[in-house]
Amino acid sequence: MQEYSSQAAYDRGEAVCVIGAGASGLIAVKNLRENGFEVDCYERDTVLGGLWNPQNQHSPLYPNTHLVTSRSQTEIPDFPMPDDWPDYPSATQMLEYLTSYAKHFGLSEHVWYGSEISHLEPVEGSRFEVVVKPAAGAAARRLRYGAVIIATGHHWAPNLPSYPGLDDFRGTVLHSSQLKDASRLRGKHVLVIGGGNSGVDIACEAAVNAASCVHSVRRGTWHLPKYLGGEPADYALARLSSRPKLLRRFLTDRTLKGPKRLAERMGVEAPGHGPGDEEPVRNGRYLEHVGDGSIKRRGEVARFDGYDVAFADGTEIRPDLVVLATGYQPKIACVAPELLGGTRDAPAPRLFARMFSPKAQTLAVAGLVEPGVGVLPIVHWQTHAIARWLQIRKSDPERAESFKLQVNAESGHNAVEHVDPRRRLVVDAEEYLASLGRIIDTLEQEPAK
Amino acid sequence: MSLTAWIRRARTPEPVAVRREIAVFEPADLFDIEIKDNPETNPVLCCTGDPAGAAAFNALWLKRIATSGRYAAAVSVRGQGGTPAAEGGPDAKAHDVVQAAVTVPRQTVLIGHREGAAWAALAAGRYPAAGLVLVSPQRFPKQLPKPVGEPPVLLVVSESETQSKEVQAVSEEYGITPLTFAGAPDDVFKGANAEALLDTILSWLDAQKH
Ligand SMILES: Cc1cc2nc3c(=O)[nH]c(=O)nc-3n(C[C@H](O)[C@H](O)[C@H](O)COP(=O)(O)OP(=O)(O)OC[C@H]3O[C@@H](n4cnc5c(N)ncnc54)[C@H](O)[C@@H]3O)c2cc1C
Repeated sequence: MQEYSSQAAYDRGEAVCVIGAGASGLIAVKNLRENGFEVDCYERDTVLGGLWNPQNQHSPLYPNTHLVTSRSQTEIPDFPMPDDWPDYPSATQMLEYLTSYAKHFGLSEHVWYGSEISHLEPVEGSRFEVVVKPAAGAAARRLRYGAVIIATGHHWAPNLPSYPGLDDFRGTVLHSSQLKDASRLRGKHVLVIGGGNSGVDIACEAAVNAASCVHSVRRGTWHLPKYLGGEPADYALARLSSRPKLLRRFLTDRTLKGPKRLAERMGVEAPGHGPGDEEPVRNGRYLEHVGDGSIKRRGEVARFDGYDVAFADGTEIRPDLVVLATGYQPKIACVAPELLGGTRDAPAPRLFARMFSPKAQTLAVAGLVEPGVGVLPIVHWQTHAIARWLQIRKSDPERAESFKLQVNAESGHNAVEHVDPRRRLVVDAEEYLASLGRIIDTLEQEPAK
Repeated sequence: MSLTAWIRRARTPEPVAVRREIAVFEPADLFDIEIKDNPETNPVLCCTGDPAGAAAFNALWLKRIATSGRYAAAVSVRGQGGTPAAEGGPDAKAHDVVQAAVTVPRQTVLIGHREGAAWAALAAGRYPAAGLVLVSPQRFPKQLPKPVGEPPVLLVVSESETQSKEVQAVSEEYGITPLTFAGAPDDVFKGANAEALLDTILSWLDAQKH
């Protein structure tokens, strides 16, 4: 890295560098500090909270974003949300929650805002050198750390599909992350493309605000209502998970029978695998809007043509506004893909237990999973494990060895690569939590020497 | 808290929410320009088994804690003082303590008296308290969760209690030797003995890193 070597790196000793001050980064800082580490957290934006903060540039929030996971399944295990909050808090409440978490544990004083990490690389054995992107005119700063945790999220690079004629389309085209205000939908003929949670939520917003709403969906997805049997759906399903396997399957099938039939009636096919195999759509209103005709479902878009959009089935419409709710590309730009187990040609990370670099002992990633359940608790246990690992790595070589074997074995559980790149981050929450539990047990079984 | 304990709890119905009475006394409330809220110190949240709940700490405790530069609060759990009664045993009361703790602006010390000590100890199994102070604990749970985040623990009991089985079990559980105070275990809210007890607690707190 010639261009950076003009100035000596500042050595932060055994301190840990956390990249990103979204939910994952904040949880990492808290758990590292609790385990006695000094921490510097770098956030490229000027605010904390990551994607839940509408002031964050490029925030993917769209009008009226609410949690799709319920409060008790979303809150951080050792810092519950206020119990007088609704079952499904709003994005505003989520930010309020993360802000009070940061304040409660004094996290902000460890965060350097407006500091993007542009590059990191291993130096002298297990240490890392990070480069803070210079503000205009200033020199890049380089610092050395004992370990690095990447918590940069995976909802920042919009996934933009290409359709014939899209570039010359005469109407307005927005990615879901650009639709900040529901008033943009008012009175318009709207086409929403994409059948995930964002697409479905936005179609519902259009159903009540727009002149008309067509929703283009390429394939089947599991549709869950937000409540099942009088309880938040994720809670109800999670409760079944503690039952023996066969009984669990029976009860799950029985619980999902009604919603599945309703979805089928509305022309939504559930895919062959269960709802745990990919992020299910959780929205109680959508199918009702399809049922009352305020959302019209169509298949795949074939091409754009001047003012018109043609679908694969040959039909055409003339929308004023097209919303691409086509998701994001997970990208970690600040590190060479090889360090995270990828290659130049296939840069997607292949991590041990979805968090540890297979190449460097002191590099880990937090929050790079789509568990289909609340993400924050998973990140809490991930960063708990990472902090413990960094602690025992040096102090307890014997345990460190058994940990390495363990983590290697655990990675086998997730070795089945999803062919569909959109499902690469998907984990089965039940299995993944069990795996995290085993890893933490290995790290903690008896008190460290 | 272990991952398994969390999974179990996340899949158990949450206790009914109640509107909790929380008494707060901040250093700024003292109108004494000499005494400032010291951001380096941790706040303190108290609870007691006494049916008066938070109000029990009004006579002496909150003000004296605030005088030491700490944010001071006390909570009435369900059925105590101004908090309506609702279903739930010790776990629900520990839930009330945790819910109060997260409304305190910074990571807080938990002080529990009598049964309140049991609730505080349960709460410390779910919330990383900055410190855990158990005053004359009573009806302590048999299965005690390991405190999250390894906070320092103080056990203070009246001279008459030092030999009790309960106190010995608690001190063994945490591997600590109890400090003693003069007077009766139920008479800790005012008077000279109470002041001495509080001073013991506050100087212990000051001696911890926070
Ligand atoms: C619309 C939407 C709805 C969602 N709903 C739910 C839900 O209901 N329940 C749920 O559990 N999850 C939900 N999620 C998932 C969400 O990803 C997690 O809840 C969580 O917010 C992820 O936090 P994070 O910190 O990993 O990522 P982010 O919130 O993306 O934070 C990453 C941070 O890193 C910063 N950063 C990035 N690169 C750099 C760099 N090079 N240097 C310095 N800083 C950098 C970014 O500015 C950002 O602040 C939703 C996601 C979206 C997009």
